[in-house]
Amino acid sequence: MLIVRSQVNLYYFWEKRWFFISMAVGAAMLYLPVPEGLSQEGLIVLAMSVVATILFVTEPIPLPTVALLIVVGQILLLGIESTKVAKSLMTDSVLFIMGSLMLAVAVVKQKLDKRIAWLIVQATGTQTVWICFGISLVSGILASFIGEHTVAAMMLPVGITLISLTSEDRNKVRGLAAVVLFSICYGCSVAGIGTPSGGARNAIMIGYWKEFFFDPGNPDAGRYLVDYVHWMAYAYPVFLLQLPFVTMILFLTFKPEYRNLSRAVARLRIQVLSEGPMTPADWMSILLFFLVLMGWIFASEIVGMGTVAILGASAFLIAGLVRWEDVNSGVNWGVVLLYAAAISLGVQMKDTGAAQWIAENFIGLLSPIGADQGLGLWAAVSVLTTGVTNTMSNGAAVAVLGPIVLKVASVAGESPIVIGFVTAISSAFAYLTVVGTPACTIVFAAGYLKTSDFLKVGWRMVIMSTLLMLVAALLYWPLLGV
Amino acid sequence: MGIWHRRTTAAERAAEKELEELREWRRNRFRILVCIDGTDASYEGLRFAKEIGQGDECDIILLYVRPIDQGLRSGGLQIRVARENMLEWGLELPGVQYLKKGLALLTEEKAMAEQWSAKHTHTNLRGDPLGDNKVEYRHESGKSIVLKLKTAPDAASGILDQYELGPYNVMILGAPSRWQGELRSFWDAGVAQKVAMLSPCSVLITREQRDGKGFLICTNGTEHSMDALRRAAVLAHLTRNPITLVSVALDKAERGMAEQQVSEAKAMLAEDGIKVAEALTRVGDPVAEIKKLSKDYALTVVSDSGKSRLKRFIRGSVAFGVMGQARNSVLNVR
Repeated sequence: MLIVRSQVNLYYFWEKRWFFISMAVGAAMLYLPVPEGLSQEGLIVLAMSVVATILFVTEPIPLPTVALLIVVGQILLLGIESTKVAKSLMTDSVLFIMGSLMLAVAVVKQKLDKRIAWLIVQATGTQTVWICFGISLVSGILASFIGEHTVAAMMLPVGITLISLTSEDRNKVRGLAAVVLFSICYGCSVAGIGTPSGGARNAIMIGYWKEFFFDPGNPDAGRYLVDYVHWMAYAYPVFLLQLPFVTMILFLTFKPEYRNLSRAVARLRIQVLSEGPMTPADWMSILLFFLVLMGWIFASEIVGMGTVAILGASAFLIAGLVRWEDVNSGVNWGVVLLYAAAISLGVQMKDTGAAQWIAENFIGLLSPIGADQGLGLWAAVSVLTTGVTNTMSNGAAVAVLGPIVLKVASVAGESPIVIGFVTAISSAFAYLTVVGTPACTIVFAAGYLKTSDFLKVGWRMVIMSTLLMLVAALLYWPLLGV
Repeated sequence: MGIWHRRTTAAERAAEKELEELREWRRNRFRILVCIDGTDASYEGLRFAKEIGQGDECDIILLYVRPIDQGLRSGGLQIRVARENMLEWGLELPGVQYLKKGLALLTEEKAMAEQWSAKHTHTNLRGDPLGDNKVEYRHESGKSIVLKLKTAPDAASGILDQYELGPYNVMILGAPSRWQGELRSFWDAGVAQKVAMLSPCSVLITREQRDGKGFLICTNGTEHSMDALRRAAVLAHLTRNPITLVSVALDKAERGMAEQQVSEAKAMLAEDGIKVAEALTRVGDPVAEIKKLSKDYALTVVSDSGKSRLKRFIRGSVAFGVMGQARNSVLNVR
């Protein structure tokens, strides 16, 4: 026994306990009798999904490893040819996620944040409440196009500068720090659903709609090819509707110690003036991003959003506005692999009938409480997504839930477009935890906020966002012809 | 972390030998590791460290652990991009201010400039623009104060890893807002709880309550407990804190045994020239009784019985129960 203990690191087993538990759960599921209505392949995919979900939530192993296990599982357990599995990993949605992340690094590296900050305070004046609203509005509008993580990374120094220029003593600016920093992260979070480029989850849902419902031979199925403008028509008003409530909730929850930031704004002005006028490189980067945006709006239906994103990233690299080394170190490529594998598994859930089986059982559970259709079903899907997204990243939440909720829509006779939007938008309601949204994680990394602050304000945000989304689904989306 | 203990190369063995010599030197000193996270409770721990670490043979190490990048959580964009942006704005990264505040609590700026020499050490680390940084202030008397900014996958791993780099006599952490039960900790143990569980040295969990009648030292009469009691009593004696001994009997039948335990402990301390202000016995659940008493004391001292995690999981542990439930600071002596 002593020899074993000297050679084997027993603490390893404790640290990795959730990995072994997930594997045991998966193995046990594989030996269960196949439930009625589910195929053997469906049960295998279901077991793989349960294992992946446990690993997403508990993170006992590096998350890209989950992606690798999903690939291996499809080949070894489902018997799918490896080339076919490899092909299923790279879709337009995955290209789009990859290109958007490269663009995100390129945009952050342009150092336009000080000018943006100065524009905000010039427009809002020095009152704290208006500055916070301005930060939410500008962060939100930018985040809706270039991704919440990008804007959070850009605006974080702006927020901290305003706070630290007001007082160096953190205890004297606790409330101010909370309203300023939450204005950035919640402004970004509510906006991340505004356009497809706002977050990976949007691209994932667009990919699922196409994969699940698009049929080239059926003219009616064309509506499931949701393009950039189409997405914006549904989601952008939901984002704009939430903005004023964000500032209101933040000021009701945290009482900032300073109602006027004139001192900090004056110092910020000096910092911005020291930057000098805009350089040709600054203008070039703005132009390039504008062209990418135009490409998403007008050309994505023809060449795909992913193509536009990687073309934009290439343009930034060719123009020398960003170095490949910066892109390479700024993008977590494992995340791209993870989303690719999750989408691939989601497609398997559809193909094997596992998603259909879960959907039928889910509807069976909801029908006794009258939540198996209409508003009740939307609310149930929203609550389910909000619960899941608060325990894992929102992209992973949509990747895991997407196939199920879209099949739920089919079983319940509801529009998959509406249910898909409810899921994608609700995945942004991860206001309760630090890990819920990328913007929250980045802002928390500054060290000003406590995890309890997220709970304190997050529940109010969840209620507000859920109600406004349901109002939009009930009153506005039917006007778009759903 | 791997399943097998790794085999080391010759270069690693040489470095390990050098480190072992350093550790040997450090073993002759009283080294206190204070984990700073910016909370009031963590600064309370620093004040306590200042109180017990006044001697020239004491070193105080202030540690802030910054979690390494979490790519998935930040949507695929590495947090280093945000941190680099902060640095380019001339802003300090999280942790630097906390450590500076801690240093200011330990010593005056003027005295630091005149009497202490500073040595900066930087270790490059992939995934973080700042890597690991250390500033060691050394007084001519040999005493040192170290500020360490460390990067690790999570705070608990970073703190435990720091122990491996140099042995410490005690680790001090601020009390968490919630202390999970053994069952809950299986799902999610907080930083302080995880460190308290796995630390090879004594751990002090500090809370903001400082007023009280000195040290409440608990004993159950075992050899381990008496050894811990002696060490805690020396600490109390050096810091001029009155000592109260307590032993809790599970039922009335065992009360006599508890009384005998405290009187033996009192006699042992008397031999060392340490005076005991009060000796108490209580009957009932040890954790509940100690918790009730603890509100009147600045510090409660318990000793880890050395139970394995599995045994604690099944049967519970008084030391862990007290650490989690007491209203004052608790020192778990190992």
